[in-house]
Amino acid sequence: MASEPTLSSAERYRPNSFVSLPAELDRSTFDVSPERRRAEAERLAIRARLKRQYQLQLHNPNPAPVIENPALTRWVYARTHNVYPTFRPTPKTSFLGLVFAIGPLLFWATIFKVER
Amino acid sequence: SQMTQDMLPGPYPRTPEERAVAAKKYNMRVEDYEPYPDDGFGYGDYPKLPDKSHHERDPWYQWDQPDMRHNWGEPMHWDFDMYTRNRVDTSPTVVPWHIMRRHFLIFLGTMLVMFGIGGMYPSYMPVGPKQYPFNDLYLERGGDPNKEPPVVTHYEI
Repeated sequence: MASEPTLSSAERYRPNSFVSLPAELDRSTFDVSPERRRAEAERLAIRARLKRQYQLQLHNPNPAPVIENPALTRWVYARTHNVYPTFRPTPKTSFLGLVFAIGPLLFWATIFKVER
Repeated sequence: SQMTQDMLPGPYPRTPEERAVAAKKYNMRVEDYEPYPDDGFGYGDYPKLPDKSHHERDPWYQWDQPDMRHNWGEPMHWDFDMYTRNRVDTSPTVVPWHIMRRHFLIFLGTMLVMFGIGGMYPSYMPVGPKQYPFNDLYLERGGDPNKEPPVVTHYEI
């Protein structure tokens, strides 16, 4: 097996949609360039700002009845109200719709018609 | 709730200005913000976050919601309810997935093939006809008790 290069077991790890790459094997975590540092600092700033807003509301002496999480509202809205307006019949969606929605309907209808 | 329509999710962003506005809306950096591809599936401008479950989030960090490992205002994954700690876990495995899958399929395939062959060509231990006592159960089978039963021997010497 001289032609096959010997890989370490870490390099043989292949992430997919079921498992993710651990941070120890991810080359991007070793990157300490200034751009990455600035990006991390910006993310931290956003996080800190949100934490501050939340803490102010949480420890408010005259508290509001409910601390509403806008991210949660947006998530719920996106999954319920925003699907129909943004849906567009494309070859892929109409094919999937046929296979998963119309297909079983016709399949079971014919089965019941033929077998009973 | 006090949210205006422009704070709620909308259609897919087409121009860079729309992308910047959407990134700001979702509390993300413009470089981090990546919407789902515009395939007409109904995602709109919702950001595509990495598909990592909450099992992988730092257990020692002071989350605002420790059970959900989620901070207030942080953009939630589209499949947030799937990636909670009660459900799907995408933590890295000790053995790579493709090796596990290969081993499992080899085992499953071998077992199925062996069972299939065994079903087509069954083999049993050799058995002889069953031997009954009392002269082949002469009386139980309705033989006349007054007559002498025929002698039945199941052995040869």
